[in-house]
Amino acid sequence: MRANGTTGETTTDWSLLARVGQKDEEALSALYDRYSGLVFSEAKRILRDTGAAEEILQDLFYQVWRTAERFDPAKGSLAGWLLVAARNRAISKLRRKTGKTEDLDENGVSLSIDVESHAAQNLLLDKVRTVMGSLPESQREALECAYFEGMSHTEIAEKTGQPLGTVKTRIRSAMEALKKVLG
Amino acid sequence: MSNGEHIRLEELELLALGALPEDEAAAVQAHVSGCGECALKLAQERGSAAVLAFAAKQEKPAGTIKAELMARIRANRESEERLALPARLRADGGAALPRLGARGNWWNWVLATAAVALALVSFGLSWQNRRMAAELQKERQAADTLIRDREQIEKLVGVLAAPDTVTVKLAGVGDAANTSGLVKFNPKTGMVLYAAELPKLPADKSYQMWLVPANGAPINAGLLGAGGHAWGNLWTAEVPLNTQAKAFAVTIEPAGGMPQPTGPKVLLGAT
Repeated sequence: MRANGTTGETTTDWSLLARVGQKDEEALSALYDRYSGLVFSEAKRILRDTGAAEEILQDLFYQVWRTAERFDPAKGSLAGWLLVAARNRAISKLRRKTGKTEDLDENGVSLSIDVESHAAQNLLLDKVRTVMGSLPESQREALECAYFEGMSHTEIAEKTGQPLGTVKTRIRSAMEALKKVLG
Repeated sequence: MSNGEHIRLEELELLALGALPEDEAAAVQAHVSGCGECALKLAQERGSAAVLAFAAKQEKPAGTIKAELMARIRANRESEERLALPARLRADGGAALPRLGARGNWWNWVLATAAVALALVSFGLSWQNRRMAAELQKERQAADTLIRDREQIEKLVGVLAAPDTVTVKLAGVGDAANTSGLVKFNPKTGMVLYAAELPKLPADKSYQMWLVPANGAPINAGLLGAGGHAWGNLWTAEVPLNTQAKAFAVTIEPAGGMPQPTGPKVLLGAT
């Protein structure tokens, strides 16, 4: 990272977030342009409802605007936080739970891979799709049930009729394959 | 669950994925909240799990969402600016107070008296500053409440105005034949709004609204009275998205409501 908060041609998330903390609307706009597609797609994949996914998207960025100064880059990445928060909110909505709203200053998410440019995001998209496509159907199903359906391992075991240990092993193996992509 | 003092990696992995049952997740979270090493590992596991978001089909949100967001933050900004406290009451810590001279003449007494007076004024201003800061905090909380209320009203108005919102008239049943009610239901958002004229119940009883789906058991749609969510005279509840309602009914249940209807029906209406 350069001293002015850029990597190559891309202004870093942290630099933009610091400006959002100073109530710079252009900085929020840039962060929105960078991550809105990912956040929206994730929420829509979980909820299968455009309106509900848009509501989550807007609420998350509104929270970033209001509480940007609380975000501590030492605790993790903004992109990771956005994706985890969007997932948790969508699952809560899906299951009609009143989940606790995540604050920017808690629940750190360390993303070990760069996603701060659309080029980097596209590269990761290809990698993740390749890994998911290469997983055995049973492993992919277990992973998707957990992440996109919000099912616990016991619920997945009931749904698939497999022993709990088998479900855990499938999830573990699938996550290992995914982590290899992340290096 | 734990390996020695720390949580096993596979447990953290499952927690990050959201695949631990609630009770196990709570136990792991309790440990993590007091263990820096496990918190660090959990953050890494959350990062790995978050990458799964990239497996979703990528779509762009409508452009109007960003426009609405920017309008919302401008409204928030204006609201905060209106509530901003003027910075004119900063205490200077008495730095400008004159020093007493070495010789003890009567001027020293005048200066000492003035210093005491200034200290008292400074204390008074400091107290006033604290009081105003507390008032500002209360004003901010009130503004937040107003913003939340406005968002709730917008949501309710949106449901009432939506073309796919269904209106169901409820008629009294049995002993409650002369009562009535009205339900507005939007399957897409899962919002249920209703109003009803019902006689007062004893303290140990509640009126409970039920959505009767096309298939399956009745779904709890909230309480009318203590424990329910009211907006003025309008009661609100949320049910699972895209539920096809066959009918709505109100029953009398033990205070606080029941997971399934057990008491007599007082209102009923088919969609």
